[in-house]
Amino acid sequence: MGNILTFEHVDAGYGRVQILHDLSFSVEEGEVYGVIGPNGCGKTTMFNALIGLIIPNKGTITFNGQNVTKMKPDKRCHLGIGRTYQVPRPFEGMSVYENVLVAAVHGANHNEKTGREVALKSLELTELYDKREILAGELTLLDRKRLEIARALGTEPKLLLLDEVAAGLTEAEVQDVIKMVKNLKVAGYSIIWIEHVIQTMVEATDHLMCMSDGHELLIGEPRPVMESKEVEEVYLGVEEEDEDE
Amino acid sequence: MKDNTTTLHKPVKILDGIVMLIICIVICVALYVLGITKTFSNNTMRYMFKIFLYITMGTMWNLMSGFTGMTSLGQQVFIGIAGYSVAVMTSTYKMSMWMGLLVGAVIGVVFALILSFVLFRMRGMYFAVATWLIAEAVRLWFNSWPFVKQGAGMTVAVKQIPKVRELYIYALTLMIIALIVVYALLRTKTGLGLTAMRDDADASSSVGVNIFKSKLLCYLICSVFIALCGGLFALQKGSVLPSSSFGIDWTVAMVFIVILGGVGTMAGPILGGIIYVILSEFLAHFPGWSNIILGAIAILVIIFLPDGIIGTLQKKLNFEIFSQKRLSAPKKSLKQKADMAA
Repeated sequence: MGNILTFEHVDAGYGRVQILHDLSFSVEEGEVYGVIGPNGCGKTTMFNALIGLIIPNKGTITFNGQNVTKMKPDKRCHLGIGRTYQVPRPFEGMSVYENVLVAAVHGANHNEKTGREVALKSLELTELYDKREILAGELTLLDRKRLEIARALGTEPKLLLLDEVAAGLTEAEVQDVIKMVKNLKVAGYSIIWIEHVIQTMVEATDHLMCMSDGHELLIGEPRPVMESKEVEEVYLGVEEEDEDE
Repeated sequence: MKDNTTTLHKPVKILDGIVMLIICIVICVALYVLGITKTFSNNTMRYMFKIFLYITMGTMWNLMSGFTGMTSLGQQVFIGIAGYSVAVMTSTYKMSMWMGLLVGAVIGVVFALILSFVLFRMRGMYFAVATWLIAEAVRLWFNSWPFVKQGAGMTVAVKQIPKVRELYIYALTLMIIALIVVYALLRTKTGLGLTAMRDDADASSSVGVNIFKSKLLCYLICSVFIALCGGLFALQKGSVLPSSSFGIDWTVAMVFIVILGGVGTMAGPILGGIIYVILSEFLAHFPGWSNIILGAIAILVIIFLPDGIIGTLQKKLNFEIFSQKRLSAPKKSLKQKADMAA
């Protein structure tokens, strides 16, 4: 299948601080694409550039055959990019159901009636169905993470961005998340998944990219990438001599 | 995970229904009848006139701040512009008061449209300060503009000065339209997005809410209605002055009304408007003290009832009126579920 997403030589950052340096990679349709890298290497910034919260100063981002480099976040959402936030950001004054309904109505252009079906389905997929009338502000951390995914699913994305959804969870819960992601893949979503929990990356991804200093360091099958020297080096910081600029 | 299902929320009671609709209609009709038949004394109607307009302004400020997160401190600019439009149209161009109100509303919208391109790049504090500075700048401009007689102000010169009863009817009508517009807006798709924006603007844009469009719509609606309020106030008072027409007291009153009643609730500004007018009329007997007392009340409310009177009541008693809440399960599907279980 073709590529659903391509980054070509992207430079991006916040104000004067440039975080992404010449980042290039591509994601195939229907795959789970893992992203790892030490803290501060630009993983979340890559997501921000991808959904349009920041605009790259250089390079192009192509989604589903369309150049989206300078597009507004809501437009990209309509095209089919759905994201979750690393620190969950629910609409706290609204119920769990309403949170997802907003996504279905605005992200997937449903009216409130048809959006309801989508919202309820997303809530079922993420096991939040029983809590749908609770205010989102009253949820526990795990449920907030679930809600992030449910809300992203509500926008009926082609590409789903998961930002550390397994962080801070117990072993058993991590297994649940892996299962959920595998189900989503079967359901036809393409997924980019940022995670520090190594186990998830090895078990659930098709390709794995390791980032370092805002640049792709190594891309390939998950296990070889994990076991490579370079990855070990950036994580353990063995050699820092080729620090540039 | 499993034990949570037992804490399955007692749902919020939403009191909007046919009964509520009838009550609202009865109240509105009664207010019209009491006004037209002169059952109310002129003095009462003067109070009511103020109450209606303050409710309208509070509702509009609430729409902006409570729902879209645009906390403006410069809404008085629309009061002033509309007041001066009425004065200029009636005294300089000898036109009717309706023309004055219309021109005021149109200039208000155009002005809001121009401002929006600058203002919507800012958020929070910056937005608040910018709106205030713009309002002050416009006041200073009017203060030295010969066309509007500089600081001396202007008088409204209509052939027949509208009677208190007429003003009462106009204000009542304006308030009813404003409340219906805001309620209807919040029930639409856009309204759902507005509520999400209130909670987290970035997150709402990443689920597809068009922030600029929603903000612009709210801002324009606010400018129209606040301008119409300003026009009616000018008609009632008979004169306009830069210092009072563009005074920040207008916005302070709107903030007070919304905080007192409850930010982000429909009923809040209604109650807040009533209390504010009664209180300020009462406090007029204590010149010098009135603002201190109003300020003290606002501080007490913020500390002890941060959700305002209506907001606190709704939370404590678990109900909502004029709700913009969407329930996941209308009765039909509940029945379907029961059928499936059976």
